[in-house]
Amino acid sequence: MSPDGGLSSTGSLLAVAVGCAAASLWLLLPRGEGGLRERAASRFGMLLGAVALALFVATGRRLGGVGEEAVFLIVALVAVIGGAATVVTRSPVYSAIWFALALAGVAGVLLVLGAQFLGVATIVVYAGAILVMFLFVLMLAQPTGMASYDRVSNEPLLSAVAGAVLLGLLTLFIGRLSAGPDECCAVPSRAAALAGGTPRPPVAPEPPADSAGRDPLAENHVARLGGELFGRHLLAVEAAGVLLLVALIGSIAIVSRTPPDEPADAAAWRAGA
Amino acid sequence: MTPAPLVLNGLVVGAMLFALGLVGILARRNLIVMFLSAELMLQGVSVSLVSWSRHHGDWGGHVLVIFVLTVAACEAALALVFVLQAFARTGRLDAAAWQSLRESVLPRVVDRELPASDAAVMVFPRLTPAGVEPEHDPDAALEREHV
Repeated sequence: MSPDGGLSSTGSLLAVAVGCAAASLWLLLPRGEGGLRERAASRFGMLLGAVALALFVATGRRLGGVGEEAVFLIVALVAVIGGAATVVTRSPVYSAIWFALALAGVAGVLLVLGAQFLGVATIVVYAGAILVMFLFVLMLAQPTGMASYDRVSNEPLLSAVAGAVLLGLLTLFIGRLSAGPDECCAVPSRAAALAGGTPRPPVAPEPPADSAGRDPLAENHVARLGGELFGRHLLAVEAAGVLLLVALIGSIAIVSRTPPDEPADAAAWRAGA
Repeated sequence: MTPAPLVLNGLVVGAMLFALGLVGILARRNLIVMFLSAELMLQGVSVSLVSWSRHHGDWGGHVLVIFVLTVAACEAALALVFVLQAFARTGRLDAAAWQSLRESVLPRVVDRELPASDAAVMVFPRLTPAGVEPEHDPDAALEREHV
């Protein structure tokens, strides 16, 4: 088995997957067509999106056990499908609810990755507080019926291509990470050897000696995360508290001001120009 | 040291969420959907940070994600206040309503006529009338039927 052949076939599969994802996003984004054409485009877009997701799943690395793999697959699919639906749904209320589903998937991914506190905190802070605030504002501000600006997009083709290019570059880089230390880690160590004059041993292939206190996967997860947060990062925690207070006071100060006269643009919009 | 397969898969999921959020920010015109897309990008970054934290076996990524949560809460509060003010001034949640802030060399966004949307047509079940018809409240007709 040649490693080169395996790598390039994975690369071409990933390229096809990224292309399918871009085409699917372009078809699914609102383009103001309406009627039968829009429905056909969204069906075809969902089909292409499913093909792209299947290709991404096929090129993903196999995990250890079947159970672990199935759990990661389910939560990752929930996160990505929820995120895609957040972006392409016309009605902003449904968009916010799809975002809640994406948050549930992200919390599951964080749990699988061993971040128990962060998974629960994501649900509590995002889905419990931030998303409810979004829904409040939507209920306050949503005009009757489907607005015209929800049914058209700015440059849907260019946006989908930009997202696909970013995703392609990131997956390319992530794929090269797994290709071995020759490609991903050689340059810094060579540079260090040139700078230092003497060849140094590679940087910490083993976890350091006090890894029992630092490994996030060991026991007493939350207690040790709290110790790290309020020990090494105490000053940053204080700064975050000040930031929250300033944001609270600032938002109250801004929202209690009455708007002055309408700008010219808004008057033109009202007049139907 | 080659990252574990779980770390690599987590990085791919984070990249996909970030790219989806980028597409949403670039393409959508509703201010609230644009902010939801920004939050989606933050989620992608959080997944990547936790993956790297697992790879290196330390707490840096976890602590950063906690600060990301804090800043996201502040950002959402301030952003929604701005959205409310923008809505109070223009009556629209449209980013193009503020296009007088664009670069002077860019053309003006002009909305074209849209074909009728079939999403607004609702079908309600027909129920058999029963009992006495109540008196209608004339004030109720003035209330908003849709939030």
